Amino acid sequence: MTTLALDGLGKRFGAATAVADLTLDVPSGAFLVLLGPSGCGKTTTLRMLAGLEEPTSGRIRLGDRVVADPAAGVLVPAQRRGTGMVFQSYALWPHMSVRQNVAWPLAVARWSRADRTARVTEVLAALDIADLADRSPAQISGGQQQRVAIARTIAPRPEVVLFDEPLSNLDARLRVETRDLLGRVHRSTGATSVYVTHDQVEALALATHVAVLRDGRLEQVGTPTELLERPATAFVAGFLGNPPAVLLAGETRDGVLRRGDLRLADVPGGATARHAMYRPQDLRLDPEGEVDLDVVESTPAAGDHLVTGLVPAVAAGRAGSGETDAGPQRITVVADRRVEPGTRTRLRLPAVPAALFGPDGARL
Amino acid sequence: MPSRIRTRTRTALAAVPLALALTALTACGAGSPAAEPDTTDWDALTHDELVERAQEEGTVTVYAFTSRIAQVEAAFEAEYPGIDVVASDISSTELITRLASEHAAGSATADVAYVSDAPVVVTELLADGVLVPYVPPRVAGALPEEYRSPLVANRLSTKVLMYNEEAYPDGSPVQNLWALTEPEWAGKVVLVDPNVRGDYLDLATELSLRADEMAAAYEEHTGEALVLDEGVEDAGLQFLADLYANDAVLVDDTDTVNAAVGATGQAAPPVGFTSYSDRRDNEDEGWALQVAAGVAPSPGIAFPAQIGVTADAANPAAARLLADFLMGDDSGTGGPGFEPFYVAGDYPTRTDVEAPADAVSLDELGAWEIDPEASAARRGDVADFLLTVQ
Amino acid sequence: MRAATARGAAAARRPVVWLAAGVVAVLVLLVALPLGGLVRATVGPGADGAWGDVASGPLADALLWQPLRGSLLVGLGTGVLATVLGAFLAWVVVLSDVPGRKVIGVLAAVPFALPSFALALAWETVFRNDRVGGNPGLLAALGVAVPDWLAWGPVPVVLTLVAHYFSLSYLVIAAALANVGGDVVAAAELTGASRLRVATRIVLPSVAPAVLSGFLLAFAEGVSNFAVPALLGLPVRFQTLSTRLYGAISTGDAERGYVLSIVLVVVAGLVLLVGNRLTAGRSYSTITGKATRARLVRTGAARLPLAALAWALVAATAVVPGVVLALSTVLRRSGSLDGGLTWHYWVGESDPSVAQGLRGVLRDPTVLDALGGTLRLGVVVAVCAVVLGALAAAVLRALPRARALHATVGLLGYVPFLIPGVALGAAVIAQFGAPTGPLPALYGTFAILVLAGVAASLPFALQTARAAFGQVSRELDEAAVLTGAVAPRRFARITLPLVSRGLANGAVLVFVTMVRDLSVVVLLVTPATPLLSMTTFRYASEGFTQHANAITLVIALIAVTATLLARRLEPGRKES
Repeated sequence: MTTLALDGLGKRFGAATAVADLTLDVPSGAFLVLLGPSGCGKTTTLRMLAGLEEPTSGRIRLGDRVVADPAAGVLVPAQRRGTGMVFQSYALWPHMSVRQNVAWPLAVARWSRADRTARVTEVLAALDIADLADRSPAQISGGQQQRVAIARTIAPRPEVVLFDEPLSNLDARLRVETRDLLGRVHRSTGATSVYVTHDQVEALALATHVAVLRDGRLEQVGTPTELLERPATAFVAGFLGNPPAVLLAGETRDGVLRRGDLRLADVPGGATARHAMYRPQDLRLDPEGEVDLDVVESTPAAGDHLVTGLVPAVAAGRAGSGETDAGPQRITVVADRRVEPGTRTRLRLPAVPAALFGPDGARL
Repeated sequence: MPSRIRTRTRTALAAVPLALALTALTACGAGSPAAEPDTTDWDALTHDELVERAQEEGTVTVYAFTSRIAQVEAAFEAEYPGIDVVASDISSTELITRLASEHAAGSATADVAYVSDAPVVVTELLADGVLVPYVPPRVAGALPEEYRSPLVANRLSTKVLMYNEEAYPDGSPVQNLWALTEPEWAGKVVLVDPNVRGDYLDLATELSLRADEMAAAYEEHTGEALVLDEGVEDAGLQFLADLYANDAVLVDDTDTVNAAVGATGQAAPPVGFTSYSDRRDNEDEGWALQVAAGVAPSPGIAFPAQIGVTADAANPAAARLLADFLMGDDSGTGGPGFEPFYVAGDYPTRTDVEAPADAVSLDELGAWEIDPEASAARRGDVADFLLTVQ
Repeated sequence: MRAATARGAAAARRPVVWLAAGVVAVLVLLVALPLGGLVRATVGPGADGAWGDVASGPLADALLWQPLRGSLLVGLGTGVLATVLGAFLAWVVVLSDVPGRKVIGVLAAVPFALPSFALALAWETVFRNDRVGGNPGLLAALGVAVPDWLAWGPVPVVLTLVAHYFSLSYLVIAAALANVGGDVVAAAELTGASRLRVATRIVLPSVAPAVLSGFLLAFAEGVSNFAVPALLGLPVRFQTLSTRLYGAISTGDAERGYVLSIVLVVVAGLVLLVGNRLTAGRSYSTITGKATRARLVRTGAARLPLAALAWALVAATAVVPGVVLALSTVLRRSGSLDGGLTWHYWVGESDPSVAQGLRGVLRDPTVLDALGGTLRLGVVVAVCAVVLGALAAAVLRALPRARALHATVGLLGYVPFLIPGVALGAAVIAQFGAPTGPLPALYGTFAILVLAGVAASLPFALQTARAAFGQVSRELDEAAVLTGAVAPRRFARITLPLVSRGLANGAVLVFVTMVRDLSVVVLLVTPATPLLSMTTFRYASEGFTQHANAITLVIALIAVTATLLARRLEPGRKES
């Protein structure tokens, strides 16, 4: 078990920046989820942690050990970092049986034969795949292969376990099962884990800490609750939550954020706001409301209905203030009844938004 | 026959500077740091002295262009017990490349070479001092000058016009080479592409060197003087150009010519240029090859198989003894050393060895004997010319 | 971001860089120096304006342009058709449910083990017309008028070479196909695409590196083959660069021949470049860690027609030429049934009336000596070449962004095909014949044969190794990295077992070429190191056709046996 710290971590491929100035700390035993859309740099970050990519700047510490610090010429090779990794493709060695796949890392780590046998039996049993031990990877199902991959990774008791979108190849039911399994594995091993996904449901279910990345930059890191309750940026607010928070764009004039003629909120202290954030459950469908909504979907969920629709564009306010992005916006709100897709209704906004975000996306 | 008269009469005097030059080359080759300077006057040794030295050396390595060297090996070892012959047979092209490469790398392994392709041997091996000549004194007297230098030759092979005697039982259907350029023989003359095989290039070259005879034959055949096409230098090249234009069939291999011309059961077989001595396979192969002897101005060429000693020979005495052996003994047929080469259609160079029976004599055949040096000087241009008329 | 793959930590990378340097050094020694010698020979004072003759002036058309067109026609025709046929048979054998596919698989590997002249001979046996004279072919004898274009020239040359070299594409592609996961195919079938479409649009592209390797090998073999264009092309004056360059060398104008071979190297280099461009930037790994069962494609109603087609192909290219070759060894008269049959050429005692008293090949101690030498050379060269090829492929894989390295290794590993064997042999003598540095003079030793053999067979070793490595997903190695295993251990335990099938195929190709045609070592073989191919060559040039063919048949049998053995030795993964 070990803490994990990234300090100004950066990675460039030629002229392209994959990861920039990434700083975060997680305590020992944490389950950190790197969350973000495709291409946000999360997998690159994971591979830098593993030692499969070299950072071009910054520092990585595992516990009190600096494993990468290009400025100081420090680069501990992947073999000696004591990390384990579950690959998206599982990366099972096709020429070895399940048992051999799990046992080989132990042999590399110079475990005695007896210890090896005992540990393999233990891990296979823990993952409920003991009866597959002598099959080859080609002879077992995808979900079983996933379990073998996990067994192989945790068998040597690594201090840090890395997961690269491990559930993305599974069907919905297996995904939930395996997610539970991963949670159980994490609790039983206590290993500090880093988990890459673009699926916020997985993230919120598993994580003790979530780091949201976008275009190679860290948007926010914190516990799932922190992120949901106090998103640091408009991006996080719009990305996290099910459904995510509703963001309405507007333009700040004379200390007031407006969307067209609609007054959204007062902006204190001479600041400039771009977005007003509302929690989906705080918005009500009301034909008398302030904002038009063209309904496109209406999905029943836990007794309520999730109504998704488009808020039509409004004319960009005053001439010369071309910054305002008030195009059509897709939002989802929680309603108590079904609304027929294709109809237009209106939204009633609360008097005060839950948060305001500035032009740079940061929370005011 | 007139064509047998040697066009090249080299006086003994003219041979002196050549011999000197070759001696210089010998010294040069032997002067490589690995070998001791060879100052031996080999010609002054008696046969017994040569044998004695050869037996001290105990072994000799020969590169030969024919597998019949294996029979020579057996015969030599029977004649001179205690001298081991290591024989290696590869094609003349490869033999030449190999000797040159070995010489350049200073790692010669051969002591003596038995090789065809005389024009290339002269330019690539003799001129660079890779091979040195050795004329066994025992047979020197029975060898005409042209078979003594630049390298000693023990026999002549041929590339001559042959026809199918089953289809033409009354003798050659062709009396004059120029007939081959006429419609009657369109697409019915087979030869190996002279741009692929050296001996056929020698044949083409000789046609050019004998341009006057070719011109005369044209006049004799048509009754008119030959008019050369634009850009064609002489009557020989004109013949080749006309032959190619008459859809001559080029193939890759002498045996293909033999089978094409010789196969029995053909109604209108082609004629072709090939080795007279291949006629000996008629029975085995079901061929009816016969030589077009006496065709005007000549059915083709006779060319030497030459013997040379390598400049850096590790076994110089045994090498010379083997060269001596290859020339045949004093019996009328050359004895065991010459026996493998004593076949009808090949001709011994020694005047005191009778030509094999079952073949017309070299005189009757009327083949031109090539002059390797003249041929070497001309063949590049002929090859280039042939490229332009394909 | 996934495309930018791991290079590992700096410390781990160091040995790879050294290894890369070592591989390049060996390639330079084996290939670049001889090639340099070739170039020097064409510009030296002795070259006599060879470049000028070839490139411009009145001869350029006959020496360069026409043969170049011929070579491109033959090379591309051979490459494309051989790849199409090879891919088809590989698909039939590996993925389809066509009856008898195992046997087809064995027979498809046979044509490469046969000498190319045997296939040309088979062609002539059927299609020969009266252009050259002599005995007519089967069709002509039946009264069918065979046009010249079918009997001679580019069409029969290309088809004969295709019949010979589709084996190469087949072997390389089949090895790759065996690793394509079943659900790649299944996923494609579920889209409703036809089986043909799945095979050509999904399955084959997923083994693109193997397809490209197969094409490049067949192309290079096609342009460098001399025997077939000489036999079937010359009668209608169809010339290729190979016939021209062998002609130049054998008529004493070696420099001109070298110029032509340099042209050949450049042309093939361009083809290599284009080929790499076309397939650049794709991910090809089909051995991923997500294993799936290989599954056979049900061909349904097409089953029997496909089987008939596949069987006809292997029958025409393996069985017929094999039988023609075998028959030719027992004919009393070469190439004709008129003289009756005899075992003399195999087991006869010396008889002065036949073949100048040459014994049957099985009674000839020199043939048996040569057999031993041939096997030894084949095995040693195969092992050395494959080790070198595998190291080179591993290095290229470990340093995916070292473009100069890729270009250098790719080119040096390919051109030996195109340097005429005689020239390569001469260069090797020049280089290693005399003592150089710590090396003693190697001339006349077994070692120099091995050196030349490895140099000449590098293309097979490297192309097959790269195809094999290209199939293995990087994540499999990365998963092993994270266990803490050091590079040599990962290579031995993870990568090597996964590429072993491809490497074994490469080894067989090398072995087969080494035991079969030895134009490279013809200059290097001395009486101390007898080889079967030398013996055949000797007999053939002396007109002892039956003896020569008997030995050729022995060589072919050895080659086929080796191919079959390699199949046996393959790890039985995915089979159980």
